Amino acid sequence: MSTHQHTITALVQNEAGTINRLVSLFRRRGFSLASFNAGDCEDPGYSRLTFIVNGDDAVVSQCLKQLNKLIDVIECEDLEPEHSVQRELALIRVEPTSEQRAAVHGIVSEFMARTPRTTATTIVVEQVSDVASLERLIAALMPYNVTEIVRTGTVAIKV
Amino acid sequence: MNRSGAKIVMEALVREGVDTIFGYPGGVVLPLYDEMLNWPQVRHVLVRHEQCAAHMADGYARATGNVGVCLATSGPGATNLVTGIATAIMDGIPMVAITGNVNSWAIGKDAFQETDIQGITIPITKHNYLVTNIDELPQVLAEAFYLANTGRKGPVLVDIPKDVFTATTSAPFPTTISRRGYTVPGAPPKDQIEEAVRLIKGAKRPVMIAGAGVLHSGAMEELRYFAETTKIPVINSLLGLGSIPRDHELSLGMMGMHGEATGTLAVQEADLVLGIGIRFDDRLTGNTSGFAPKAKIVHFDLDPSEIGKTVTPVAWVVGDLKASLSAVNKLIEPQDRPEWLAQIKKWQSAYPLIVPQGRFLSRTVLKALNDHTKGEAIVATDVGQHQMWTAQFYRMKKPLSFLSSGGLGTMGYGFPAAMGAKFARPDEEVWAVVGDGGFQMTLQELQTAVEYNCNVKICLLNNGFLGMVRQWQELFYDNRHSHVAMGSPDFGKLADAYGVQFYRCSRMEDIADTLKGASEHDGPVLCEFVVEMEENVFPMVGPGASNSALVMDPDLEPSEAAHKAGAFETTHAGALHV
Repeated sequence: MSTHQHTITALVQNEAGTINRLVSLFRRRGFSLASFNAGDCEDPGYSRLTFIVNGDDAVVSQCLKQLNKLIDVIECEDLEPEHSVQRELALIRVEPTSEQRAAVHGIVSEFMARTPRTTATTIVVEQVSDVASLERLIAALMPYNVTEIVRTGTVAIKV
Repeated sequence: MNRSGAKIVMEALVREGVDTIFGYPGGVVLPLYDEMLNWPQVRHVLVRHEQCAAHMADGYARATGNVGVCLATSGPGATNLVTGIATAIMDGIPMVAITGNVNSWAIGKDAFQETDIQGITIPITKHNYLVTNIDELPQVLAEAFYLANTGRKGPVLVDIPKDVFTATTSAPFPTTISRRGYTVPGAPPKDQIEEAVRLIKGAKRPVMIAGAGVLHSGAMEELRYFAETTKIPVINSLLGLGSIPRDHELSLGMMGMHGEATGTLAVQEADLVLGIGIRFDDRLTGNTSGFAPKAKIVHFDLDPSEIGKTVTPVAWVVGDLKASLSAVNKLIEPQDRPEWLAQIKKWQSAYPLIVPQGRFLSRTVLKALNDHTKGEAIVATDVGQHQMWTAQFYRMKKPLSFLSSGGLGTMGYGFPAAMGAKFARPDEEVWAVVGDGGFQMTLQELQTAVEYNCNVKICLLNNGFLGMVRQWQELFYDNRHSHVAMGSPDFGKLADAYGVQFYRCSRMEDIADTLKGASEHDGPVLCEFVVEMEENVFPMVGPGASNSALVMDPDLEPSEAAHKAGAFETTHAGALHV
């Protein structure tokens, strides 16, 4: 079985220690967590989380079962790419020279990204997209003095 | 009606039918200890170290199937529980641990005796709580007992700040417990049962390995009916011992690293292995790539995460074991398998457990203990060689009568666990089998035993070594003894100091009288057996080796019967040196 990335979403009851307990499970059982996102959801008092997990099918199956055993976890699921929408938001601060600014704006426009704030010396680029497209945008901006990148990790929803 | 958090805790204990709790007071639990004086129906056993409060609660739970409760103050009191809680989670023991914490407004400010016991125990509890709102306390306590004793059982910790013990609320206890996303496994799906039954009917050389899950779900009768109807031999994991009487003709005893040869060999030759409430741990399977090489595996368990965790079954039945085995029993018909059972008999006669004659060995004593108690006492063991020998030689007749730290392997467990069992079932004879190493970890509880006249009998096998570690150093480290020779105090003087009845036995001919004298004394007794120093446990599967590389006891003469038993090439102890 080959190792690849799985997108797991979980609905959890929000109590003191819940996030600690979830992340502790990944550490303790050696599951490889590539990214992790948590936020409020349609149920008050509950959160929905998205985990990106590296592993073969057996590992991911065991990971799902162990997550399900946690009392806080209401349900969890391994989302298939073809039956889900998966997005990540990134904020990228670029500090190009004045000669490079036009090129940066050109890249932003090409990737249909946004620039919510600019100053005389910096451009903050905002992008919401699938991870592959995001990685391409970052690669394209790298020559123009990228000074900080902040990413949310993937969030995913079943279709 | 408004009442304090301390009163709510006591109410919860009474509601849950808890008659005994094990604890140790301290600053932040003072309000609870004060309230306790008003509740004579709940006996509090004052231990001498909180670890033993957890082990006693564990022993209480294992001997009854009910939730054991331990109690400690914040900080070091709480952290001292940790080993006992970890012991309980590994073996699926229902336990509620109540800890006090500093006042809720002081949490996070490194107050005196503050520790994050919720954070510390996340990986070793089924669930845990920090209760900062008094209104939630009745619900949390009811939920804690429910979670601890349903589904796959386990310890639940409730951490209560001092000000929550003194705050008041009129919040009632819930009449029913339901938690979204938590379902107690019931009967398994019908198709899983049918597939398992199909495989059972088609098998020529089936065996079953019955584990602690059978005891947890109370499926002993169902297991026995299933075995007797299908004539499938019953092997046990360490903690499954007692799920079928050891003198039953289909009982083969424990298998695995130090299991009896017959069970281990039968699994290697079987065409079908039914794992019933076991988790296929490494001490049982050996190297999984060589485990049961000719068999299809069918796994019965209530915990879906156990399916496929270490071995790959072809089929599984996920549900409560009592319901699962009942459903199977409705579909099976009487079978007979004379050839397979004859083969097993051959192994039994070729590779018996042996006690070399004329030597004062741990095995000699444990065989005598079995004869003395007739397998009807509750026996708690510590961890090490004596634990394996007890598993081999103690032929328990009843369930819930063998207590041992199987998963965590906690030295120091045996004596306090035996005390917990005795508090729970005072009419039963209770023995703690311990070594000189483990006993020295928790022997301060002798004082507790004396104060409560906790009538446990301690069978101390003193070989002057950490025997199992010494055995591994002999076999795998060229017999270089590194820190395994262990001095002991004069146990007679120690017993005198505590006021405990003491017998020292160093002659074979005195063993039976010593045991008899211990049983007849009304009160705790320490029996020290000064046994041979260098005795090894066999059979043995080396760590990481396949169960096929089973090493027989070098004292076992390869007899004509062994050659006739065939099918297996067993190795000599020397083979372990590699």
